[in-house]
Amino acid sequence: MTNTNEFISLLASKLGRPTPTQAPEPVAINVPQYRSSTRKDRASLFLDNWHALGGKGMIVKSPEETMQCLKEWFGDQQATWPNKQQAIVAWDMLPTVAEFAFAALEWPLVRYSQEAQSSPDRYSLAAQAELGVTGADWGIALSGTLVVNSSPQRGRAVSLLPPLHLAFIEASKLRDNLFDVLEELTSLGMPPSAIEMISGPSRTSDIEMDLSIGVHGPIEVYVIVIDD
Amino acid sequence: MTMYDPTVDQRVDKALANDFLRLATRRATDRLRNNRVKAAEELGDWQKWREAGETIRTHVVANLDFYLKQLITQIEKQGGHVHLAKTPAEAVTFVKNIVREHKAKNVIKSKSMISEEIHLNHALEDEGSTVIETDLGEYIIQIAGEPPSHIIVPAMHKTRQQVADLFEPIAGHPLTSDTPTLTRFVRNKMRESFLQGEIGITGCNFAVADTGSIVMVTNEGNGRMVSTLPRVQITLMGMERLVPSFRELDVMLNLLARSATGQKFSSYTTILTPPKQASDPDGPEEFHLVILDHNRSEILGDKTFRPALNCIRCGACFNVCPVYRQIGGHAYGSVYAGPIGAVITPLLENDWYKWGHLPFFSSLCGACSEACPVRLPLHDLLVKLRARKVVGGHTPKIEHQIFKTYRFFFTHEKTLRKALRLGSKLQWPLVRNGRISVGIPPLSNWTNSRTLPKVSPKSFMQMWSELNRN
Ligand code: SF4
Repeated sequence: MTNTNEFISLLASKLGRPTPTQAPEPVAINVPQYRSSTRKDRASLFLDNWHALGGKGMIVKSPEETMQCLKEWFGDQQATWPNKQQAIVAWDMLPTVAEFAFAALEWPLVRYSQEAQSSPDRYSLAAQAELGVTGADWGIALSGTLVVNSSPQRGRAVSLLPPLHLAFIEASKLRDNLFDVLEELTSLGMPPSAIEMISGPSRTSDIEMDLSIGVHGPIEVYVIVIDD
Repeated sequence: MTMYDPTVDQRVDKALANDFLRLATRRATDRLRNNRVKAAEELGDWQKWREAGETIRTHVVANLDFYLKQLITQIEKQGGHVHLAKTPAEAVTFVKNIVREHKAKNVIKSKSMISEEIHLNHALEDEGSTVIETDLGEYIIQIAGEPPSHIIVPAMHKTRQQVADLFEPIAGHPLTSDTPTLTRFVRNKMRESFLQGEIGITGCNFAVADTGSIVMVTNEGNGRMVSTLPRVQITLMGMERLVPSFRELDVMLNLLARSATGQKFSSYTTILTPPKQASDPDGPEEFHLVILDHNRSEILGDKTFRPALNCIRCGACFNVCPVYRQIGGHAYGSVYAGPIGAVITPLLENDWYKWGHLPFFSSLCGACSEACPVRLPLHDLLVKLRARKVVGGHTPKIEHQIFKTYRFFFTHEKTLRKALRLGSKLQWPLVRNGRISVGIPPLSNWTNSRTLPKVSPKSFMQMWSELNRN
C-alpha cells in the first residue's frame, strides 16, 4: 500500500525537481473555433448535425406546434403502448411548453425521482417505460450534441434506459462549440455528479464494422428546439 | 540462451495464414483511417489542433506530480476513495478487496485498457464474482477468451458467424448472424446484467485534476449504464491520463473522437464527478479510483521516452501501420498492440526476452507519427528502443556475430573483394532460379521466409573500376 506523499514524491524525483506548490501556468490554447453568424444559423447547424447522427429534430414556436410535433412522432405508437400510465417517464420539471403539450394531449408523465422510493424501483420504472423525456442545459451546434447536467430533480436514467429519448431545449441554450460550453460549465463552480453529452442514439460497429443502432442506450432520439 | 521468445514467430505465422483476419483488419483499419482524415479536415486547421494536443499533454506529463496530487485531494474531499497501485498485482488486490467487502456477485464493466493491463477479470472470477464485459466488442472476446485485437474495435478479428456461434450457447437457441439479430440479443441479455450490477467498473479517458472528475467516452451507452446504475463505482486509470481543467477538454475530446472513429464526438461523452450527491435519484453512492503506475514513473524519469506518456489511446497509429494491417493485434502478443504498443510494452513490462521483438514490428515508415493526434514521434521512439535493446545486450549472440563479421569485411576492402569472388564461385549449391533460396543455418533464418539475390560474378567494385578506366 503506497501513501500519497510517497507516490507523488517519487514522481517529483523522476521529474528532477520538487513538486510545485502553486498551480502551473495553464498552457495557451490556440485553435480556430467555429463561430456561427446568427442564432438561426446556429439552430439549423445543430439540427443538421443531429439529423446526420440519425436523430429526429424540429424547431417549435408555440405549445400548439409542440403538440403537433409530439402527435406526429409518437401519436400512432402511443395508441398501442400497453401500459399508458407508465409509458412516459420524465424529469420532475420540463420546460413549460413541454408540460403544457403533454397535459393538453392527456399523455400522463411518470416523474422519475418521485414515483419510486428506491433506486432499483426507479431503474425498473425507467427500463419498462417506452419514452424518456428530459430537458437539456446546452446544445452544441458544431457536433449536434445535447449537454445534460444531473440534479436531484433530474434522473440520469431517464435519457438512458427507455428505448426512446426526447429532449426539449430552448434555442437560447445552443452554443457553437464545446469550448463555449466548457467555459460556462467552469463558471458554475462545482460540477454536478454527471454531465452527459449526448450525440445521437446508442451505436456500435463492433461486428465486422457494421454500424448498428441502439445496442444499450436509446434506439431513437428526438429533440424539440423551443424558439424562445 | 535464446534472447527472444520463440512464440513470437508462431504468432506471426498464424496471423499470416489467417486470410479472414488479414482482410478484416485491412478493411476495418482502412475505414477508420478514412473516417479520421475526413473528420480532421472538417474541423479545419488540424495541425493547429494537434499542436495544441501535444502542448497540453506535454504540460500535464511535465507537471504530473502536481496534477495527480490535486486530483487525489479533490476526489477525497468529495468523498471518493483513491487507491495508488505501484504494480498490476496491487491494483488487482485493491479491486478484489472492494468486491469482497461488498460481497458483490455481479460486477459489470465498461471498457478499460487498464483492466486488460492488470488482467483483472480472471482474478475476480477466481473470487467467485461474475464479471461481465458490457461493451459489445469486449463481450465477444470475453466469451471467446481472447485479448482485444484492436484498441478501439476489440473484436475486429471475428466474423459475424463466429460471433453468432459464440452467442448461441448463451441464448440457448439458434441465432442468425445478421447484425441486428446479434445486437438485439446483446441488448436484451445485457439489460438484466445492468439492472443487477452491484459494482460497476469503468475506464477513464481523462481525469480532470481541478474538479476531481472522470471523463469517459463510449458509443454504446454501456459506460453510462455502468456508472449510473450500480451502487458502487470503481474507475481504473493509468497514472498519466489527466487534464488540468475543463478548459483543455475541448481540444482533447475533439482530437480523441475524430482520431479514434472519425466522429465529431462519440455518442456519449460523460463527465462524472462521483459519488452522487445525497439527493440525486441515481448514480453511485460509493466511488473508488484506482490509479496505476506500473513503470509509468520509470518512463517519466527517462527523458528519451517520456513523450510516450502523452498518448491518448485513440488507435489512429494502428490503422495506418503497415505491420499492424498485415498481422492484426494478436501477433504482437501484448495487451497494447500497434505502434504505441510496440513502444510502451517493453517499457511497461520491462522484459526484453518477452517483448524485445516489438520495436521491430515496424517498417519505420513514420505513418504512425503522422497520424498521431498528439504528435508522438512513434517511429523515432521505435528506433531508440531498438538501440536500447542492442546497447543493453538483449540481442542474440548470432546477431552480434553477424554484425561483427559485417563490420570486419566492410572495413577491410581487400578481404571483401576476395570473399565476393569466392562467394560467386561457391554459391551454386544454394542457388535456385537465379536466387539464393536454400540455406544452411544461420543463413536459413533468412532463406526460410524469403530469397536472396545471388552473388554477382562481377562485383560493383570491379565494375566501378572498369568504368573509371574507360
Ligand atoms: S500513439 Fe498517438 S495515434 Fe497511437 S494511440 Fe496514442 S495518441 Fe493515438
